[in-house]
Amino acid sequence: MTTGNDGMRRKDGQVEAGLDDLFTAARSARSAPSEALMARVLADALAEQPRMAMQAPGPRLRGPGLWARLVWALGGTGALAGMGTAAVAGLFLGLVQPVGLAGLDEAVLGAPLETVELIPGIDGLLEGN
Amino acid sequence: MPRDMQAEAMAAASDEVVLARYAAGDPVAARVLTQRLVPRVLGYAARLLGDGAEAEDVAQEAMLRLWRAAPGWRAGEAQVSTWLYRVVTNLCTDRLRARKRRPAAALDEAPEVPDGAKGAEAGMMEADRMGALQAALDALPERQRQAVVLRHIEGLGNPEIAAVMDIGVEAVESLTARAKRALTAILSGRREELGYDDGE
Repeated sequence: MTTGNDGMRRKDGQVEAGLDDLFTAARSARSAPSEALMARVLADALAEQPRMAMQAPGPRLRGPGLWARLVWALGGTGALAGMGTAAVAGLFLGLVQPVGLAGLDEAVLGAPLETVELIPGIDGLLEGN
Repeated sequence: MPRDMQAEAMAAASDEVVLARYAAGDPVAARVLTQRLVPRVLGYAARLLGDGAEAEDVAQEAMLRLWRAAPGWRAGEAQVSTWLYRVVTNLCTDRLRARKRRPAAALDEAPEVPDGAKGAEAGMMEADRMGALQAALDALPERQRQAVVLRHIEGLGNPEIAAVMDIGVEAVESLTARAKRALTAILSGRREELGYDDGE
Protein backbone atom coordinates (compact mmCIF):
# COMPACT_ATOMS: atom_id res chain seq x y z
CA MET A 1 0.00 0.00 0.00
CA THR A 2 2.78 2.38 1.03
CA THR A 3 4.74 1.33 -2.04
CA GLY A 4 1.78 2.23 -4.26
CA ASN A 5 1.47 5.71 -2.71
CA ASP A 6 5.21 6.28 -3.08
CA GLY A 7 4.99 5.32 -6.73
CA MET A 8 2.10 7.74 -7.28
CA ARG A 9 4.00 10.56 -5.57
CA ARG A 10 7.06 9.83 -7.72
CA LYS A 11 4.94 10.00 -10.86
CA ASP A 12 3.34 13.31 -9.78
CA GLY A 13 6.80 14.71 -9.05
CA GLN A 14 7.90 13.75 -12.53
CA VAL A 15 4.87 15.49 -14.08
CA GLU A 16 5.37 18.58 -11.90
CA ALA A 17 9.00 18.87 -13.01
CA GLY A 18 7.93 18.28 -16.59
CA LEU A 19 5.35 21.05 -16.32
CA ASP A 20 8.09 23.70 -16.12
CA ASP A 21 9.67 22.18 -19.25
CA LEU A 22 6.29 22.37 -20.97
CA PHE A 23 5.93 26.05 -20.03
CA THR A 24 9.41 26.78 -21.38
CA ALA A 25 8.60 24.95 -24.60
CA ALA A 26 5.28 26.83 -24.88
CA ARG A 27 7.09 30.17 -24.58
CA SER A 28 9.42 29.36 -27.46
CA ALA A 29 6.73 27.62 -29.53
CA ARG A 30 4.69 30.79 -29.93
CA SER A 31 3.85 30.94 -33.62
CA ALA A 32 4.37 34.18 -35.52
CA PRO A 33 1.25 36.10 -36.53
CA SER A 34 0.19 35.64 -40.15
CA GLU A 35 1.05 38.36 -42.65
CA ALA A 36 -2.68 38.86 -43.25
CA LEU A 37 -3.30 39.64 -39.57
CA MET A 38 -0.34 42.05 -39.41
CA ALA A 39 -1.64 43.81 -42.54
CA ARG A 40 -5.16 44.09 -41.07
CA VAL A 41 -3.86 45.53 -37.79
CA LEU A 42 -1.60 48.01 -39.58
CA ALA A 43 -4.45 49.09 -41.84
CA ASP A 44 -6.60 49.72 -38.75
CA ALA A 45 -3.76 51.68 -37.18
CA LEU A 46 -3.35 53.98 -40.16
CA ALA A 47 -7.11 54.41 -40.57
CA GLU A 48 -7.51 55.39 -36.91
CA GLN A 49 -4.38 57.54 -36.67
CA PRO A 50 -5.24 61.14 -35.75
CA ARG A 51 -4.66 63.29 -38.81
CA MET A 52 -5.29 66.66 -37.20
CA ALA A 53 -2.36 66.00 -34.90
CA MET A 54 0.15 65.63 -37.73
CA GLN A 55 1.84 68.87 -36.67
CA ALA A 56 1.43 68.33 -32.95
CA PRO A 57 4.71 68.03 -31.09
CA GLY A 58 5.25 64.49 -29.92
CA PRO A 59 8.22 63.43 -27.81
CA ARG A 60 11.43 64.31 -29.66
CA LEU A 61 13.60 61.49 -30.89
CA ARG A 62 16.98 63.32 -31.26
CA GLY A 63 16.33 65.55 -34.30
CA PRO A 64 18.90 67.85 -35.97
CA GLY A 65 20.24 70.70 -33.77
CA LEU A 66 19.94 74.49 -34.23
CA TRP A 67 23.26 74.84 -36.11
CA ALA A 68 22.38 71.98 -38.51
CA ARG A 69 18.97 73.53 -39.23
CA LEU A 70 20.57 76.99 -39.80
CA VAL A 71 23.11 75.54 -42.26
CA TRP A 72 20.28 73.73 -44.04
CA ALA A 73 18.19 76.95 -44.23
CA LEU A 74 21.11 78.89 -45.81
CA GLY A 75 21.62 76.31 -48.53
CA GLY A 76 24.16 73.92 -47.04
CA THR A 77 27.86 74.16 -46.09
CA GLY A 78 28.98 75.13 -49.65
CA ALA A 79 26.73 78.20 -49.70
CA LEU A 80 27.87 79.14 -46.20
CA ALA A 81 31.56 79.04 -47.28
CA GLY A 82 30.81 81.27 -50.29
CA MET A 83 29.04 83.82 -48.08
CA GLY A 84 32.00 83.89 -45.71
CA THR A 85 34.50 84.50 -48.55
CA ALA A 86 32.39 87.37 -49.96
CA ALA A 87 32.17 89.00 -46.53
CA VAL A 88 35.96 88.87 -46.02
CA ALA A 89 36.62 90.27 -49.53
CA GLY A 90 34.17 93.16 -48.93
CA LEU A 91 35.87 94.06 -45.68
CA PHE A 92 39.30 93.99 -47.34
CA LEU A 93 38.21 96.31 -50.17
CA GLY A 94 36.71 98.71 -47.69
CA LEU A 95 39.86 99.00 -45.60
CA VAL A 96 42.57 98.95 -48.29
CA GLN A 97 41.87 101.14 -51.34
CA PRO A 98 43.57 99.56 -54.34
CA VAL A 99 46.15 101.81 -56.09
CA GLY A 100 44.48 101.53 -59.50
CA LEU A 101 41.28 103.17 -58.22
CA ALA A 102 43.09 106.44 -57.31
CA GLY A 103 43.19 107.79 -60.93
CA LEU A 104 39.83 106.34 -61.97
CA ASP A 105 37.75 109.39 -60.96
CA GLU A 106 39.96 111.75 -62.99
CA ALA A 107 39.89 109.51 -66.05
CA VAL A 108 36.10 109.22 -65.99
CA LEU A 109 34.99 112.64 -64.69
CA GLY A 110 37.93 114.77 -65.98
CA ALA A 111 38.65 116.14 -62.51
CA PRO A 112 39.52 114.69 -59.13
CA LEU A 113 36.45 113.68 -57.22
CA GLU A 114 36.45 115.21 -53.82
CA THR A 115 32.76 115.76 -53.04
CA VAL A 116 29.62 114.42 -54.55
CA GLU A 117 26.33 116.27 -54.13
CA LEU A 118 23.72 113.64 -53.77
CA ILE A 119 20.99 116.20 -52.83
CA PRO A 120 21.14 119.45 -54.83
CA GLY A 121 21.10 122.74 -52.83
CA ILE A 122 18.24 125.24 -53.04
CA ASP A 123 20.50 128.19 -54.04
CA GLY A 124 19.68 127.74 -57.74
CA LEU A 125 15.95 128.00 -57.03
CA LEU A 126 16.33 131.26 -55.08
CA GLU A 127 18.59 133.03 -57.64
CA GLY A 128 15.64 134.26 -59.80
CA ASN A 129 14.02 136.18 -56.90
CA MET B 1 15.31 62.56 -39.71
CA PRO B 2 15.38 59.82 -42.41
CA ARG B 3 12.63 57.17 -41.97
CA ASP B 4 14.93 54.18 -41.31
CA MET B 5 16.83 56.15 -38.63
CA GLN B 6 13.51 57.16 -37.12
CA ALA B 7 12.39 53.51 -36.99
CA GLU B 8 15.69 52.51 -35.38
CA ALA B 9 15.38 55.17 -32.67
CA MET B 10 11.77 54.17 -32.08
CA ALA B 11 12.57 50.47 -31.80
CA ALA B 12 14.62 51.29 -28.69
CA ALA B 13 11.93 53.54 -27.18
CA SER B 14 9.33 52.37 -24.65
CA ASP B 15 5.80 51.40 -25.71
CA GLU B 16 4.47 54.59 -24.12
CA VAL B 17 6.85 56.86 -26.10
CA VAL B 18 6.05 55.11 -29.38
CA LEU B 19 2.31 55.32 -28.65
CA ALA B 20 2.69 59.10 -28.11
CA ARG B 21 4.43 59.32 -31.50
CA TYR B 22 1.52 57.37 -33.02
CA ALA B 23 -0.95 59.82 -31.50
CA ALA B 24 1.13 62.68 -32.96
CA GLY B 25 0.55 61.23 -36.44
CA ASP B 26 3.80 59.35 -37.05
CA PRO B 27 3.10 56.37 -39.37
CA VAL B 28 6.41 54.68 -38.43
CA ALA B 29 5.11 54.39 -34.85
CA ALA B 30 2.07 52.43 -36.09
CA ARG B 31 4.35 49.87 -37.74
CA VAL B 32 6.68 49.57 -34.74
CA LEU B 33 3.80 49.01 -32.29
CA THR B 34 2.13 46.48 -34.58
CA GLN B 35 5.32 44.42 -34.92
CA ARG B 36 6.06 44.66 -31.21
CA LEU B 37 2.67 44.01 -29.65
CA VAL B 38 0.65 41.76 -31.98
CA PRO B 39 2.74 38.57 -31.38
CA ARG B 40 2.29 38.90 -27.59
CA VAL B 41 -1.41 39.73 -27.79
CA LEU B 42 -2.07 36.88 -30.23
CA GLY B 43 -0.10 34.32 -28.18
CA TYR B 44 -1.95 35.18 -24.98
CA ALA B 45 -5.37 35.10 -26.66
CA ALA B 46 -4.58 31.74 -28.28
CA ARG B 47 -3.69 30.21 -24.89
CA LEU B 48 -6.90 31.50 -23.29
CA LEU B 49 -9.19 30.50 -26.15
CA GLY B 50 -7.45 27.40 -27.56
CA ASP B 51 -8.53 28.55 -31.02
CA GLY B 52 -6.24 30.33 -33.49
CA ALA B 53 -8.88 32.01 -35.65
CA GLU B 54 -10.76 33.42 -32.67
CA ALA B 55 -7.46 34.56 -31.16
CA GLU B 56 -6.70 36.53 -34.35
CA ASP B 57 -10.06 38.32 -34.09
CA VAL B 58 -9.37 39.17 -30.45
CA ALA B 59 -5.85 40.41 -31.25
CA GLN B 60 -7.15 42.70 -34.00
CA GLU B 61 -9.95 44.03 -31.77
CA ALA B 62 -7.58 44.66 -28.83
CA MET B 63 -5.15 46.56 -31.08
CA LEU B 64 -8.04 48.58 -32.56
CA ARG B 65 -8.98 49.65 -29.02
CA LEU B 66 -5.37 50.68 -28.43
CA TRP B 67 -5.31 52.84 -31.57
CA ARG B 68 -8.52 54.53 -30.44
CA ALA B 69 -7.24 55.06 -26.90
CA ALA B 70 -3.93 56.56 -28.08
CA PRO B 71 -4.98 60.25 -28.40
CA GLY B 72 -6.27 60.33 -24.82
CA TRP B 73 -3.46 58.20 -23.34
CA ARG B 74 -2.05 59.75 -20.19
CA ALA B 75 1.64 58.99 -19.71
CA GLY B 76 2.48 57.25 -16.45
CA GLU B 77 -1.08 56.12 -15.76
CA ALA B 78 -0.77 52.56 -17.10
CA GLN B 79 1.75 50.48 -19.01
CA VAL B 80 0.65 49.80 -22.56
CA SER B 81 1.34 46.04 -22.22
CA THR B 82 -0.62 45.77 -18.95
CA TRP B 83 -3.55 47.65 -20.48
CA LEU B 84 -3.49 45.41 -23.57
CA TYR B 85 -3.34 42.17 -21.55
CA ARG B 86 -6.37 43.38 -19.58
CA VAL B 87 -8.32 44.15 -22.77
CA VAL B 88 -7.43 40.71 -24.21
CA THR B 89 -8.45 39.01 -20.95
CA ASN B 90 -11.85 40.73 -21.04
CA LEU B 91 -12.43 40.01 -24.74
CA CYS B 92 -11.56 36.33 -24.23
CA THR B 93 -13.84 36.10 -21.19
CA ASP B 94 -16.72 37.46 -23.29
CA ARG B 95 -16.04 34.91 -26.03
CA LEU B 96 -15.76 31.98 -23.61
CA ARG B 97 -19.08 32.95 -22.00
CA ALA B 98 -20.69 33.25 -25.41
CA ARG B 99 -19.45 29.73 -26.21
CA LYS B 100 -21.15 28.39 -23.09
CA ARG B 101 -24.44 30.04 -24.07
CA ARG B 102 -24.40 28.39 -27.51
CA PRO B 103 -26.71 25.40 -28.04
CA ALA B 104 -25.18 21.95 -27.55
CA ALA B 105 -25.27 21.25 -31.31
CA ALA B 106 -23.09 24.28 -31.95
CA LEU B 107 -20.62 23.09 -29.34
CA ASP B 108 -20.16 19.89 -31.30
CA GLU B 109 -19.04 21.98 -34.27
CA ALA B 110 -16.36 23.77 -32.26
CA PRO B 111 -12.81 22.90 -33.35
CA GLU B 112 -11.41 20.12 -31.24
CA VAL B 113 -8.26 20.65 -29.24
CA PRO B 114 -5.67 18.09 -30.25
CA ASP B 115 -5.81 15.29 -27.70
CA GLY B 116 -2.19 14.31 -28.12
CA ALA B 117 -2.79 11.01 -29.91
CA LYS B 118 -3.33 8.70 -26.99
CA GLY B 119 -1.27 5.54 -27.12
CA ALA B 120 1.44 7.05 -29.31
CA GLU B 121 4.92 5.76 -28.69
CA ALA B 122 7.37 7.50 -26.36
CA GLY B 123 9.24 10.54 -27.68
CA MET B 124 6.22 11.97 -29.47
CA MET B 125 6.39 15.20 -31.40
CA GLU B 126 6.55 18.58 -29.68
CA ALA B 127 3.23 19.57 -31.24
CA ASP B 128 1.51 16.77 -29.36
CA ARG B 129 3.09 17.85 -26.06
CA MET B 130 1.82 21.37 -26.72
CA GLY B 131 -1.58 19.90 -27.54
CA ALA B 132 -1.63 18.09 -24.21
CA LEU B 133 -0.69 21.30 -22.37
CA GLN B 134 -3.40 23.27 -24.19
CA ALA B 135 -6.02 20.64 -23.39
CA ALA B 136 -5.01 20.79 -19.72
CA LEU B 137 -5.16 24.61 -19.74
CA ASP B 138 -8.62 24.46 -21.32
CA ALA B 139 -9.79 22.25 -18.45
CA LEU B 140 -8.81 24.86 -15.81
CA PRO B 141 -11.23 27.38 -14.33
CA GLU B 142 -11.00 30.66 -16.28
CA ARG B 143 -9.20 32.79 -13.65
CA GLN B 144 -6.65 30.05 -12.89
CA ARG B 145 -5.93 29.72 -16.62
CA GLN B 146 -5.41 33.48 -17.00
CA ALA B 147 -3.07 33.64 -14.01
CA VAL B 148 -0.94 30.63 -14.94
CA VAL B 149 -0.61 31.68 -18.60
CA LEU B 150 0.39 35.24 -17.66
CA ARG B 151 2.90 33.98 -15.09
CA HIS B 152 4.48 30.94 -16.73
CA ILE B 153 4.04 31.48 -20.47
CA GLU B 154 3.86 35.26 -20.90
CA GLY B 155 6.49 35.69 -18.16
CA LEU B 156 4.82 38.57 -16.27
CA GLY B 157 5.60 39.31 -12.62
CA ASN B 158 2.94 38.89 -9.97
CA PRO B 159 2.35 42.66 -9.46
CA GLU B 160 1.71 43.13 -13.19
CA ILE B 161 -0.61 40.12 -13.27
CA ALA B 162 -2.46 41.62 -10.30
CA ALA B 163 -2.91 44.85 -12.31
CA VAL B 164 -4.10 42.94 -15.39
CA MET B 165 -6.61 40.83 -13.43
CA ASP B 166 -7.56 43.63 -11.05
CA ILE B 167 -6.87 41.54 -7.93
CA GLY B 168 -4.25 41.50 -5.16
CA VAL B 169 -0.81 39.93 -5.46
CA GLU B 170 -1.71 37.25 -2.87
CA ALA B 171 -4.73 36.25 -4.91
CA VAL B 172 -2.45 35.88 -7.94
CA GLU B 173 -0.09 33.61 -5.99
CA SER B 174 -3.03 31.50 -4.82
CA LEU B 175 -4.48 31.21 -8.34
CA THR B 176 -1.18 30.19 -9.94
CA ALA B 177 -0.44 27.63 -7.19
CA ARG B 178 -3.88 26.04 -7.55
CA ALA B 179 -3.56 26.10 -11.34
CA LYS B 180 -0.21 24.28 -11.22
CA ARG B 181 -1.61 21.62 -8.89
CA ALA B 182 -4.60 21.13 -11.18
CA LEU B 183 -2.40 20.94 -14.29
CA THR B 184 -0.19 18.34 -12.59
CA ALA B 185 -3.25 16.26 -11.75
CA ILE B 186 -4.65 16.52 -15.29
CA LEU B 187 -1.33 15.76 -16.99
CA SER B 188 -0.67 12.79 -14.68
CA GLY B 189 -3.43 11.04 -16.59
CA ARG B 190 -1.63 11.76 -19.87
CA ARG B 191 1.87 10.66 -18.91
CA GLU B 192 2.26 8.46 -21.93
CA GLU B 193 1.47 11.33 -24.30
CA LEU B 194 4.05 13.48 -22.55
CA GLY B 195 6.70 10.80 -23.03
CA TYR B 196 7.29 10.13 -19.32
CA ASP B 197 8.64 6.82 -18.06
CA ASP B 198 5.73 4.75 -16.79
CA GLY B 199 7.84 2.07 -15.08
CA GLU B 200 7.58 1.55 -11.32
